[in-house]
Amino acid sequence: MLEIWYLIILNPILNVLVALSHILAGEFGLAIIALTVIVRFASWPLNKRQLKSTKALQDLQPKMQELQKKHGKNQQKLQQEMMKLYKEAGVNPLGCLWPMLVQFPIWIALYQSIMRALATTPENLLALHRHLYSWEVVRNAIPLSSRFLWLDLGSPDPYFILAIIVGGTMWVQQKMTQAPSADPRQQSTARMMTLMMPLMFGMLTLMFPSGLALFWAVSNIIGIITQYLVTGGWGYLKISSPFQSAAPKG
Amino acid sequence: MKRIKISFLIVVVLLTSLMASCIPGQGQPASGWSGTAFRDGVIYVGTGDGTVVAINATSREEQWPNPYSFATEGSGGLACGPAIVADAIYATPIVDGGSVYVGTYSGRMYALSTATGARRWSYPEDGNIGAVVGSPVVADETIYISTSDGMVYALYIGNGDVRWQDRLEWKSEPLADKLWTSPTVMDDTLYVSTFDGHIYALSAENGGMLDWTLQLEAGLASSPVIYGDTIYVGSFDNNLYAIEIGANEHRWRFQGGKWFWAAPLVHDGIVYAGSLDGRLYLIDSETGDKLGEFDAGSPIVASPVIMDDLLIVADESGDVYVFDLSYALQDRTVPLMRVQLDAKVESTFCVSEGLAYIRAEDKLYAVDVEKGWVTWELSLAAEE
Repeated sequence: MLEIWYLIILNPILNVLVALSHILAGEFGLAIIALTVIVRFASWPLNKRQLKSTKALQDLQPKMQELQKKHGKNQQKLQQEMMKLYKEAGVNPLGCLWPMLVQFPIWIALYQSIMRALATTPENLLALHRHLYSWEVVRNAIPLSSRFLWLDLGSPDPYFILAIIVGGTMWVQQKMTQAPSADPRQQSTARMMTLMMPLMFGMLTLMFPSGLALFWAVSNIIGIITQYLVTGGWGYLKISSPFQSAAPKG
Repeated sequence: MKRIKISFLIVVVLLTSLMASCIPGQGQPASGWSGTAFRDGVIYVGTGDGTVVAINATSREEQWPNPYSFATEGSGGLACGPAIVADAIYATPIVDGGSVYVGTYSGRMYALSTATGARRWSYPEDGNIGAVVGSPVVADETIYISTSDGMVYALYIGNGDVRWQDRLEWKSEPLADKLWTSPTVMDDTLYVSTFDGHIYALSAENGGMLDWTLQLEAGLASSPVIYGDTIYVGSFDNNLYAIEIGANEHRWRFQGGKWFWAAPLVHDGIVYAGSLDGRLYLIDSETGDKLGEFDAGSPIVASPVIMDDLLIVADESGDVYVFDLSYALQDRTVPLMRVQLDAKVESTFCVSEGLAYIRAEDKLYAVDVEKGWVTWELSLAAEE
């Protein structure tokens, strides 16, 4: 099983990453950025579907809130009416989940590739040869330099800059899609989650090699841009109160 | 509300720490692969538990009742990792006079008494230098160390004082990103190979850079080996390079199937080079022509060793091969015997009086290279 994972997913991504590093003047940081963009581009059809589902759900929010006001006390009735509304609008509430699940192995492989390519310990460097193709461009790229801008990509960013970028961009991205809820309890949970994920990733950035944090930051920024372009605006980011306006603003 | 927010933050911090230290896929931790050294009937080897042990080759008993333990602060802290972890030892211990010298991955150099294992000195006394991965070398009462912060240090072996203290800076100029290879000393000159493809020549006297430096196309994986006026060094572009000292380009290069990670061995005009493609190559040291090859079938990580007319090669899968160098050239690639160890061999090893002392993972083997069997084996793992 592990061999299949290496053969089909991990090794191709790892070798492209290493080759990109050689092509981009030996800058592994640029290779991470380029590969993140490539993977995002390759998974665009899935992303687009996910974003459209999100957008459709956003558009339904005013009607959803009306239903919540109307049937808030009868949960069973509320569920039935909500399902009816989804069906009428041709929206699957889980439609934005499965494209994310399909992409999940790619992101794991990308994460593993970055960690393996950086080879922070002698064991990791020695083990790297097992995963490399005999391409000349790959042969000439090893070992990779871990320096990029102010970062040692194999160590956490000592200046917290990446942590702020990763946490900030993740917060923006989540805020863009976080639909307001009429239920104060749900709203409170949603707010907590919007805060918790960026905080956690910000903290992880302080502990993980900055090469990985760079990948998170670039991935978030691309996510924000594509979300902006597909949904046609900043979504719920601009809405200060969930009851102020239900429709997302462009 | 304020209390809820504080509790929330604490939960985030704890959860994140837990994830950071337990998440899989970060690769293998640094555990060390120290090789063996032999002197006066005693084998010295670094263990996976962060100690160096001295084992009597005859009685197989540990010479030191309380081996010095190299420990370092762990990073796990809050979650999976312990607060104090064993320091990894990659460098093979060096024995000289009454001391054994050990470099650690946390960045310290130690001198221990060969009689008791007690610490004589450490450098630095406080703090750390870069991680020591390549084995240090001793010459002219000085120990030369290359470290992961791209520095080369020269210390007096007697007390650990810095020898290059006359310089404005007591350490040499930064040479590269990382120095995981061993330096080689010849005629008051220190030769260093780097991951960014340079061969540097430094004055052994004061650490100053000498006029000659050569940059190759690929990063250099192995430590340099000098034979005559030529440096032989393995690279990450699957080539073995021969470089005449003082020349502006390599004399020849020989292409294998994968990296030449282990330092080659040169004997009687023939280069014996093990590659990670699992082959041992026999190459003419003058021309770079291939004279023969032997396919071990598993990567060769440790350098070959010669004892009398016998060449001993161990591959990563734990197979030890013995070749007779007195045979005609075409027969030298046919092993006299093969001994199977049941653990991976990634460390350099030493030979003495017909026995090869090989560390394979957490075991130490004494292999009789004349008879072709394992004379004894010993666990290096700490007893629970």
